[in-house]
Amino acid sequence: MKFKIKQNKLSRALNTVSRVAAGSRTTLPILNNVLIFAEKNKVSLSTTNLDMAITEYLPERPEEEGKITVPARLLAEFVGNLPRDEEITIENKGTKVTISAGKYQSVINGADAEDFPTLPEINEKKAVKFTINVDDFKNGINKVIVASSNDLTRPALTGVYFNTFNNGLYVAATDGYRLAEKKLIEKVKDEVAVIIPANSLQEIMRSIYDDVDEIEILFDETQAIFRLGEIEIMSTLIDGSFPDYRQLIPKDNEIVLNLKKDEVLRITKLAALFAKEVGGSIVCEAKKNKFLISSVANEYGENSSEIETEVENSGKVTLNSKFLIDALNAVEEEEIKISFSSRITPVVVENQKSKDYVHIIMPLKS
Amino acid sequence: MFDVWKSVLNDIEKSVSSSNFSTWFNGISLISMDGGKVIIGTPNVFFKRQLESKFFDTIKQALLNNDIEVKSIEFEIVQADKKPKSKARTTIDQQNTISLPKIQKGDLSGSTTFDTGLNNAYRLDNFVVGSNNDLAVSVAKNVINSPGKRYNPFFLYGGPGLGKTHLVQAIGNELHKKDPNLKILYTPTNHFYSDFVTSIKKGKTDEFYKKFQKLDVLIVDDFQMIIGKDASQEQFFNIFNDLYNLNKQIIVTCDRLPEQLENIDKRLTSRLAMAGAIDLQMPSFEDRCAILKSMAEFLGEYIEDETIEFIAENVKTNIRDLEKELKTILALSDLKGVSPLNLIEGGYISVVSRAGGTKTVSPKKIVDKVAKYYNLSTKELKSKSRVFHIKNARQIAMFLLSKELSMSTNKIAVEVGVGDHSTVMNGIKRIENNLKTDFSLRDQLEEIKGLIYE
Repeated sequence: MKFKIKQNKLSRALNTVSRVAAGSRTTLPILNNVLIFAEKNKVSLSTTNLDMAITEYLPERPEEEGKITVPARLLAEFVGNLPRDEEITIENKGTKVTISAGKYQSVINGADAEDFPTLPEINEKKAVKFTINVDDFKNGINKVIVASSNDLTRPALTGVYFNTFNNGLYVAATDGYRLAEKKLIEKVKDEVAVIIPANSLQEIMRSIYDDVDEIEILFDETQAIFRLGEIEIMSTLIDGSFPDYRQLIPKDNEIVLNLKKDEVLRITKLAALFAKEVGGSIVCEAKKNKFLISSVANEYGENSSEIETEVENSGKVTLNSKFLIDALNAVEEEEIKISFSSRITPVVVENQKSKDYVHIIMPLKS
Repeated sequence: MFDVWKSVLNDIEKSVSSSNFSTWFNGISLISMDGGKVIIGTPNVFFKRQLESKFFDTIKQALLNNDIEVKSIEFEIVQADKKPKSKARTTIDQQNTISLPKIQKGDLSGSTTFDTGLNNAYRLDNFVVGSNNDLAVSVAKNVINSPGKRYNPFFLYGGPGLGKTHLVQAIGNELHKKDPNLKILYTPTNHFYSDFVTSIKKGKTDEFYKKFQKLDVLIVDDFQMIIGKDASQEQFFNIFNDLYNLNKQIIVTCDRLPEQLENIDKRLTSRLAMAGAIDLQMPSFEDRCAILKSMAEFLGEYIEDETIEFIAENVKTNIRDLEKELKTILALSDLKGVSPLNLIEGGYISVVSRAGGTKTVSPKKIVDKVAKYYNLSTKELKSKSRVFHIKNARQIAMFLLSKELSMSTNKIAVEVGVGDHSTVMNGIKRIENNLKTDFSLRDQLEEIKGLIYE
């Protein structure tokens, strides 16, 4: 194998793919390596941690075809420290990999590519395929991933649920205490219902280069593939059932408040200061055209703030302030709607205009 | 079987490097090996792919070394700590997918190119029979056994969410199963109407007419939607006559009796009523429990009797609402990771009853609304007057207090101002009896309920 490539291109690719390899399971040392595969018209770099795999394709024409694996971190750091614009030559003799650039040269002990795990492939014809604008994708995932769980005893909640409903593609996440749902694509043809690990999605979000406009997503029963320009990320799916959450979103809450996000965020943060010793619990109350948030800290004192607004019914609900702050940060519009009914019905936080995002919070028992 | 598997793993361990073994073989399990067909469970697609491509021969050799017959080896993905519950869910998901009309079309295309419009999730074996619907079900079976004969047309009526659509689609599906060559068409009335309008616009009314003339079984759902659509009525009347004269089965559902359909040609309503009209009633408490149990079974979920009874007690509107309540409880239980019973005991249940649309009303509201409906003052209604229309209104109030709020007869007596509970019992009984024959009373009750719950 032998090919030449500009330092900046190679360095960017190595930085991206080595993140997946680094910190992977140690039982199999080769998982710390990057697979370099020089084919006819392209060179690809792949790593995997056995939960996901990432491959970046570089459009270089190699002088000699072949493949080899090299410790990913070491290679990434060596290349990263070479001067920008330097042309780098990579070639191997057996498992000895030589990287040379002008007066800089090093030989890294690699490992046979045959020992690298065979990466799963997807049958494109059988897979369900969606295409989505990058900004919509990032925005959608960011707005729901905050509600996902990291409790490994309930694996289904540690991911983001991609599902189709009434011809729309939705993403949803929940940790059992709050739930967020966003419509990603208005109209799709195929149907899907899969859970993608939140970790994989975070890695995908980090791997999107600025020059990528569109993301292609492919699903089959066992895996999902995200194509971000020259990068292809494959993730396993979480095998489990996601709660039938649409049943839980209240449709007709009794108390409906139209509010300015900044104001609610301010009084929530104020109340949160005094809520630390009670696990962040604050009381939200609607009465006589006012929305009040209060909290009590036995040791430090208490807090109560209000916003004037039109409201028909009265009632109150106890919430975890952190969840309310997360929800407020996730809604997009300045004019928001908060609604609730009783102390046990979920609180709904949503935009006033756009209907494609909803965030619900389970009240705390007061 | 699992001791053998241990020994197989031992053999594999000897033939691969220790890092390979601990990476690839720690999480795998033997699912089955019946008749030489070995199925091995792997944690995810990476493991599946790796075992298939790099360790297939190693595994096969180890199996053979342990005298296991090997015709084939398959790898499946199973989560190590997978609970039986989620397994059940998976099968349900598949069932639901199959029942999606889009996929179903493809299924039927093998036997007939004729699109029936039926959803095969509606079957007779998942229709729960109770005292509220046993007559309708026996007529349905009669229709299935001898279509176009005794019960033609089959006119089925009842309030929303009581299972009309389910039952008539089940008839269609059963008939299709018996004879896949039968030309069956299920059409909601508004589709009939919009298809007809389209055919007029395209100047293809003849084609529209011919499509129906060819049918062996015509199922029309929600017939009340045809009110006010005169041209469609005319068209339907013609189709009806043609099919009827050819002894083809016609099935019609409606929310009321034929004679109660206003502004519809009397010739049509009398024909619809020719073979009698069968109704679906609101299920009793016991029926509701049975329905909930069957739904839970269908969903592959185990639910305690207490939970079932709780829902049955709280949801009295219709079967659709029962299903909604049940699903909400299950979803909440899934989300919170606690059993439905714990949810109820933990006080989370009122979330559910709200979502189910069963709003609570006070006895006073019921009495007030009944009085208002009959143009009486509440005082008049509660008076001791024995004038017929006042007494009748009072008895209707008693009936509603009993059915809607499950109040005891003693409490009802106090609420409507009558002397003792036996008067109340007689009053309720009279209304119950009248309901069987008096369809305008049924309408009145529905309207009053509408007022109460608006």
